[in-house]
Amino acid sequence: MSVWRITPRGVEPSGDRLTPIVESLDRRRAGLAKIPVDSLVALLADFSARLLRDPRTKSLEGCMFLSAWLGSDNLRRLLELNLNGNPSYLDGFVPYGRNYLAAKPQGLVAMWMAGNVATLPMFSLIPALLAKNVCLLKLAYPEPEGTDRLLAVLAESQAGDVRGADLLEAAAVVWFDYRNRELNEQMSLAADVKIIWGGAEAIKAITALPRREHCAEIVFGPKYSIGVIDRKKIQSDPEKLDQAVAGFVRDIAVFDQRACSAPQTIFVERNARLSLRELGGLFAKHLAKLPPKPGLDPYTTMQIVNVRAAWAMDEEKDVIASADGANWTVCLDRDVSLKQAVQSRTIFLSEVDSWQQVVPLLSPKVQTVGVAFGDRDDIITFAEVASQAGVARCVRPGLMNNHESPWDGKLLINQLVRWVMLKP
Amino acid sequence: MLDHSLTLEQQVEALIRGPQYAMRQAEKDAVLTTILRELCAEIAENCPPYDRFLRRLGPSSADWQTISDVPPLPVSMFKQFLLAAVPPEKIVRELHSSSTSGGQPSRIVIDKTTAFRQTRALASILKEHLGGHRRPYLVLDAEESAGAGDTLTARGAAIRGVGNFASETVYGMNKQPDGDMAADWPRIEDFFQRHCHEPVLLFGFTFMVWTRFVEQSERRAVKFQASKAQLLHSGGWKKLAAQAVTKEDFTRRTANVLSCDLGGILDFYGMVEQVGTVFVDCESGNKHAPAFADVLIRRPYTLQPAEIGQTGIIELISVLPTSYPGQALITEDQGVLVGVDDCPCGRLGGYFRFTKRIEQAETRGCGDTFAQAREIR
Repeated sequence: MSVWRITPRGVEPSGDRLTPIVESLDRRRAGLAKIPVDSLVALLADFSARLLRDPRTKSLEGCMFLSAWLGSDNLRRLLELNLNGNPSYLDGFVPYGRNYLAAKPQGLVAMWMAGNVATLPMFSLIPALLAKNVCLLKLAYPEPEGTDRLLAVLAESQAGDVRGADLLEAAAVVWFDYRNRELNEQMSLAADVKIIWGGAEAIKAITALPRREHCAEIVFGPKYSIGVIDRKKIQSDPEKLDQAVAGFVRDIAVFDQRACSAPQTIFVERNARLSLRELGGLFAKHLAKLPPKPGLDPYTTMQIVNVRAAWAMDEEKDVIASADGANWTVCLDRDVSLKQAVQSRTIFLSEVDSWQQVVPLLSPKVQTVGVAFGDRDDIITFAEVASQAGVARCVRPGLMNNHESPWDGKLLINQLVRWVMLKP
Repeated sequence: MLDHSLTLEQQVEALIRGPQYAMRQAEKDAVLTTILRELCAEIAENCPPYDRFLRRLGPSSADWQTISDVPPLPVSMFKQFLLAAVPPEKIVRELHSSSTSGGQPSRIVIDKTTAFRQTRALASILKEHLGGHRRPYLVLDAEESAGAGDTLTARGAAIRGVGNFASETVYGMNKQPDGDMAADWPRIEDFFQRHCHEPVLLFGFTFMVWTRFVEQSERRAVKFQASKAQLLHSGGWKKLAAQAVTKEDFTRRTANVLSCDLGGILDFYGMVEQVGTVFVDCESGNKHAPAFADVLIRRPYTLQPAEIGQTGIIELISVLPTSYPGQALITEDQGVLVGVDDCPCGRLGGYFRFTKRIEQAETRGCGDTFAQAREIR
């Protein structure tokens, strides 16, 4: 059984075949290629402004950041970074020395989304459309979790004679059951590029689907993110430490800690000013200021209840937990390890003698490190070591979930174009 | 009401010995809270991990006003910790969960007092559902499952507990060399022939009763003349749900195989972490807590007690254990609070229904690094 959500005009829902959608998208390729990239950026700037005004989207989680990300200055910077400094390569051949160079769309980009972040589909869809690819996007859940509202606002956006509704003719958003092997295969075989977001088993299954020889796969996830606070930070200005902790707590709260960029374990250097329990208390103070969560499923509730009990009972560990049910939890220990993610405002603070002890835990599995160090040179030293070990991002607390390019070490738009040389 | 001149032990004894379903919920809450304040403090004194749990995660026991104030210990902690409130020389038995879902089994240490209470408590509950007389007992399991010696599984404890009502015990299954169970049809047929239309008692684990007895009897087109049979069964609903077998299907087809009334098929809920405390279906299909125990349905997230009609996480309260901190346990099951003090069966107190095991319903996204995610098949 399948459910089609948003498809180009004139394409009827079909239960067992993606072909009508794929054929419709193919017909939009030429039209999309003709839209100048500047017009696309202007259209997305209008979309950005509407997102914060429109009642359908303004209170959607992550919308504020999405709106900022869609701003023209940001998109231009992103395009320049991805396209050798010149977004015009997307509009046709540009002189390059004695020759010409162009960035052509890959074709059809098929996207399998994870269901953890409502705005996540936009961070694949927009780059793919900017690179003038047609898009077939499969949602994780039958309920679109806000994606439908975002697309409705995009459809109403306009800049000059470029309308959002026309742009969306080049995209189809679908859902079908993840076990539907036939539809997954059809989607994979239609793709020129596959973008896959999700957990380990989903990635394994989707990358195992048959695909065409030239089809590239871009995989996001699964990843784990951490924080590190050094003793200089803790022993320096208490206000700055408080700001850093407040930033970490924002990173913990956003998307209920389900994004791969959300910190799960934060390593703290032993110091002369604050005990681990006292630092935990500082996290607790900021966690207690968060608004209530919209709800919580029984499984995650039990995970929280279990981890609280396990940490409370262990002589070597400690825990600070909210009194109002399974709201927030700070688990304290001295184990130099990456703890099993519980999510939903559950943070593990682990005391270490030095951040050097954390280095053996770093690998390409670790996506983002929130770094709260007292000294800028130390941050760069840490970032050199961490990135060498495979870490994709090192950022200040508070910025961990801010989607940016590069993401997971990839310049996405760059991977969604084919570079073509012309030597006349 | 509770007689405050009695010692803690005497108070618990009085609850085990007295009528099991005659206390209104408010009265029962007050009685159990008073006992729990003292009992949990004693357990904590002798079980340092539980002491830390109470100190770090709950209000002081002196401040407990209702049973919902008692911080519930997750049952999974018995897999992670050996939680003993008595010295090793006082442990007479260790109970183990069957660990059917994989992973570490729970380990529950039992001292003489707890063992004694569990046996009599189970007898006290079953007497109210089955009557006091002994009768022929067919165990739909193998004799090995009943165990012997210092360790016992949940299955073994239940088989033995129900055995207190037996005038004769017959094991209707044999353990195969590969560990699987197979019905011993000649022995089963002989049991029913000898006790045709007499009151008989049967016990088995739900999934095994279904797959090894009911389905195979149907396949063999066999029906037994056991019109006065009472079958107690428990556990295994997750596997049955996977086969799309509902509780109604189970009851109807099992009663058909035995030629007995639907009311003769009694599902009960209980766990190895609280042996002796079982929640048997009443005539209205609801489960009631006996006098020495209670059930709380806690809402996910807030963990506050559910209102009538609300679904939540099942928490079990029992004042039986003296050797381990099993007084307030939050389970990994969901149930619905059906009502309080007004079940049509006449039993007082809150009553509930089990709904399902708590399971991870969906992939939790790219941040769920180490957990299992769903797979395209």
